Amino acid sequence: MTKTIKWVAVTVVAVLFAFPLYWVVVTAFNTKKGVFSIPPKFTPAFHTSAFLYVLTHSSWLGYMFNTIFISGSTVLLVIITSAMAGYALSDLRFRGAGVVFGAVLAVILLPAQALLIPQYDVALHLHMLNTYWIQIIPFAASTFGVLLFRQFFKTLPRSYWEAARLEGVGHLRYVFRIALPLARPAVVTVALLTFISSWNQFQWPLIMTTSHSVQPIEIALSHYMQTYEANWRKLTSAVLLALAPIVVVFIALQRYIVDGVAGRDSGVNA
Amino acid sequence: MRSRRANVGDDVVPIRRSWWRPSQFSETISAYALLSPALVVFFLFFFVPTGFLVYISFFHWGILSSATQFVGLKNFRTLFAQPLFLRSIETSAYYTIVMIPATVMLALAIAMLLREVVTARRGGVWRAAVFLPHVTPVVATSIIWVWIFNPQFGLANAVLTFLHLPALNWLESVHWALPAVMIDSLWHSLGLYVIVFLAGLANIPRELLEVASLEGASRKHVFRRIILPLLSPTTFFVVILATVNSWQAFSQIYAMTGGPHGGAGGPAFSTTTDSLLTYQTAFIYDHFSLAAAMALILFLIILALTLIQKWVSNRLVFYR
Repeated sequence: MTKTIKWVAVTVVAVLFAFPLYWVVVTAFNTKKGVFSIPPKFTPAFHTSAFLYVLTHSSWLGYMFNTIFISGSTVLLVIITSAMAGYALSDLRFRGAGVVFGAVLAVILLPAQALLIPQYDVALHLHMLNTYWIQIIPFAASTFGVLLFRQFFKTLPRSYWEAARLEGVGHLRYVFRIALPLARPAVVTVALLTFISSWNQFQWPLIMTTSHSVQPIEIALSHYMQTYEANWRKLTSAVLLALAPIVVVFIALQRYIVDGVAGRDSGVNA
Repeated sequence: MRSRRANVGDDVVPIRRSWWRPSQFSETISAYALLSPALVVFFLFFFVPTGFLVYISFFHWGILSSATQFVGLKNFRTLFAQPLFLRSIETSAYYTIVMIPATVMLALAIAMLLREVVTARRGGVWRAAVFLPHVTPVVATSIIWVWIFNPQFGLANAVLTFLHLPALNWLESVHWALPAVMIDSLWHSLGLYVIVFLAGLANIPRELLEVASLEGASRKHVFRRIILPLLSPTTFFVVILATVNSWQAFSQIYAMTGGPHGGAGGPAFSTTTDSLLTYQTAFIYDHFSLAAAMALILFLIILALTLIQKWVSNRLVFYR
């Protein structure tokens, strides 16, 4: 294979992967008739009426707000709980450390699909069904986050910790004032992967929520498709709304994301 | 569990407890206090439900009825007497058996291609383009695939017609609905496996490959005799991951086969996989015990598949 052929092949592959996303834009900005042209037209018509309708229609913005609120809160909590737990497991010596570490690891081995039914029951008993909390709290702790912070805090010089102890700095202050700012790469990786997995939740809110006021945009999309199947411009405009933030975040920070994925040794339970 | 690390320049001697050090006891208290938020979440939403899953699958238990009675294996007997349940296992198996080789071959081929152009300084764009679908919300992108597979106005049939092939009914056909879902799934997930393979390929020593080609080994030979064996741990990891993800696939199937009436899994149950049937049994028809038994069987199947693969790989995987 010559260099040229390779480049052509790579470009074709990349285009194939990116194409359906481009197709969202083309369909959303098409004219009413243009959507149903045979054969399809491959260039966008920049006809924005459907997209503007979705954008100004309050329900879509409400779903957007829910998604942003749920993802944002989850990321914040995961950073806090993971940093605290990671610190305890890396710097403190206590009885039962081995057991705790094993328990944290065991979470990824549990069958996610099979647990949905008993998890629903737990949520029912905690009176958390159909709230924001049921979509945030269960994901507010992450095995991956705990392990990554533990690894990172282990690389910090032990003398910092000793000095902090000597000066009488409390554990919490040490974690959030000294260790966490030094662990920026770990924070970025955990935040990004948590954000992506939280933004993309579907089955969980489908089961745990019923009212529109707390549901993410993913649920709304699936309802919308099942009711108004033929209105493809509005549907793809809403899809564009759900896609845009994650795509922008990804393009801006793709290096951290891809390296974070390549660096972690398990692809489950982000 | 963990030995004290010594910093450079320290004399490595056992550290004596100085008078200022907090006692072991207070450190334990602090540690558990710091661990408690994460542990409470894990305990409430993961460990308790795990125990509960086993419990309810042996009981007749409704979400609203307080009367639970031990019914032993009755739930399981009921299940295996249901044709739809056996069929859903078949559907899941079909889906998984197609997805695994397709995933491994395509991901490895794309990774080998990308390796040629992605260097430390350039080509990140291509890698990112391949990975991009993996970070998109499944339902959102499944909707665009439903549109692409539209029998009348969709892109898929336009391409087929252009190639002088017969147009297909895709999601409205019993034979082509599941393959349509597979295409969406492959598109969505391949990026992850490509990245995993790239990481595995990066670990193969360059000298080894250079020496081989200097010795006159053909590219095919290098690939078969050096790259594949050294890559086998990565391949094994990808196979396990693809198996678990395929058997548990839910969102894309639900989104693509929902149709206007909301009954996912059609047409004629041809896309009703195990995970879909479990969801419907529990949350549409409220048969919680039955669904729990189903979920348990689902888990055991995945576990068995993983163990079989582990056993096979022990004979095939080459660990350096």
